[in-house]
Amino acid sequence: MAEILLEVKNLKKYFETPRGKLHAVDDVSFSIEKGKTLGLVGESGCGKSTTGRVILRLLEATDGEIYYKGKNIRDLKNNQMRDLRKEMQIIFQDPFSSLDPRMTVSEIIEEPIKLNKIIKDKEKRFERVLELMDLVGLSRRLMNTYPHELDGGRRQRIGIARALSLDTKFIVCDEPVSALDVSIQAQILNLMKELQEKLDLTYIFITHDLSVVNHFSDEIAVMYLGKIIEKAAAEELFSNPIHPYTKALLSAIPRPTIDKKIDKIILKGEITSPINPEFNCRFANRCNYAEDICKKKEPEFTKRSKDHYAACHIF
Amino acid sequence: MNNKVLAIHNLKVRYLTEDGSVEAVNGIDISVDKRKTLGLVGETGAGKTTTALSILRLIPDPPGEILSGNIELDGIDLMSITEKEMEKIRGDLVSMIFQDPMTALNPVINIGEQISEAISIHQHVTPDEAKKKAKEMLELVGIPGARWAEYPHQFSGGMKQRVIIAIALSCSPKLLIADEPTTALDVTIQAQVLELMKELKEKMDMSMLMITHDLGVVAEVCDDVAIMYAGRIIEQGSLKEIFKSTKHPYTEGLFNSVPNIDDRKSELKPIRGLMSDPYNLPVGCAFCDRCDYALEKCKTEKPEKIYFSETHFAECHLYKENIDFQLNSGKN
Repeated sequence: MAEILLEVKNLKKYFETPRGKLHAVDDVSFSIEKGKTLGLVGESGCGKSTTGRVILRLLEATDGEIYYKGKNIRDLKNNQMRDLRKEMQIIFQDPFSSLDPRMTVSEIIEEPIKLNKIIKDKEKRFERVLELMDLVGLSRRLMNTYPHELDGGRRQRIGIARALSLDTKFIVCDEPVSALDVSIQAQILNLMKELQEKLDLTYIFITHDLSVVNHFSDEIAVMYLGKIIEKAAAEELFSNPIHPYTKALLSAIPRPTIDKKIDKIILKGEITSPINPEFNCRFANRCNYAEDICKKKEPEFTKRSKDHYAACHIF
Repeated sequence: MNNKVLAIHNLKVRYLTEDGSVEAVNGIDISVDKRKTLGLVGETGAGKTTTALSILRLIPDPPGEILSGNIELDGIDLMSITEKEMEKIRGDLVSMIFQDPMTALNPVINIGEQISEAISIHQHVTPDEAKKKAKEMLELVGIPGARWAEYPHQFSGGMKQRVIIAIALSCSPKLLIADEPTTALDVTIQAQVLELMKELKEKMDMSMLMITHDLGVVAEVCDDVAIMYAGRIIEQGSLKEIFKSTKHPYTEGLFNSVPNIDDRKSELKPIRGLMSDPYNLPVGCAFCDRCDYALEKCKTEKPEKIYFSETHFAECHLYKENIDFQLNSGKN
């Protein structure tokens, strides 16, 4: 059986707000095999980015366990965690604000190698920077340019090079292509796929764009208001969605074709507040199929077929 | 009979900056028919928004400058009228929806007043009538009229975009320019807003210029499509012509870059390289550096329009001698 690289159990992250507890991530569990990609999909405010950050302990979880290579990393001390971060990295959404504007491209890529004392020799370190630039398709002549001189696609390549500069095995990709134009988006997606195969990387791919995630992921988890409401292999999720929210989400994507018209499921209303949620189905008030039970009892996340899970009373 | 709400002829716009001049729009002709929606498609920096701002005469000058061109809106030549007359047209005959609903509203004025402001400027009505009309507009876009006195921060992104649509439509414009109206919204909310826009367009008998980078949105709302690249319209045609018999290699590249949601095995074929530097556009075809089909003369000669039907043209040398040329994806 394939090795499980990361496993998350009953992960919770609550934020205290003046109006009550904000349940950003509420009892989320999943696991990822080595070399695979889990797509974490949902709309603004569903808790997908918070989940990514809590896994890397950039935010501390309120409750739950995070196992990386079988070790619960929530028990690790700061210096142990720092060692582990050489393997666990993140790529951010906005290539404009995630790079220091006062550092050159080579300095940005070099910084993690220097700070973690991976390569102490200056010249060798520089060689490694050039190697990384080649790897992500950044021309060497851009070495001494500053981020503001570059376009979004190239900046995102710097972000990727930096994430790969250490002994990287696992990357949380937080909407890495949503700020880019389509033609550039395709270049970056292809690059990330290629690097995954070459370096045996494991990804959590956080996105709101289902067409991107379908292209990229082995398994997909759909989040709604802090909960995973459905999870399955990518192909299965797209061909046999169970949860009404997943169905609506799939039908809402504008498709660039005029051949087949899919009847859109237009949801009523908008996402409700994650502050002090009630114990019922969180999607009930927008759901076209909701019945009394949905407003009274929280649905359980149950197995529906091989590797296909969903939380819904009706389906 | 003049069937066109908007007709732009040979529009050229440039921005003069310290680093030189940026040729943002380089001689484009577009028109929007009555009750139709034209999709203006292109990537960042293609000149889409500059084109839209030219129609409203809102190009910041300096640094912007309209070098040449005629813009005719519902029979009025916009280039020859005074600024005072233009003020009467903006928000009345033509109005615009911007991409970012978070910044387009005034945070310290309640939304009811923001809607009635447009109404009282353009129509001779009493404040009470304006208020009544504003409430009607709110109901029309699906917000309870009772929320009239609330402020923008009390609304979500999708609701704010509805308020902006209400303002834009409050004077029943002939033409609505929508600049990426749903890009900042979540997919399920995007579906709601697009549905609303289609419905209101029918109800109010409007034409629409839809600026977007999303071919999925185009397929859903547009009748005609113009593809823009480096300040030129490089291909234009009906929705069917553009989607079913794609001619320009750039248009083909755009289609190949979008992940196909119904076929996860399909490979993404990105367009290589980047858009040419607008400070320094190539002499020949602006796309030739990125084009897989480029010929020798593409580097030196600007391509002319080649017509495939009355409505469908592409600016590409490939078809000059051989009108039946086939692109690799073989859609034609």
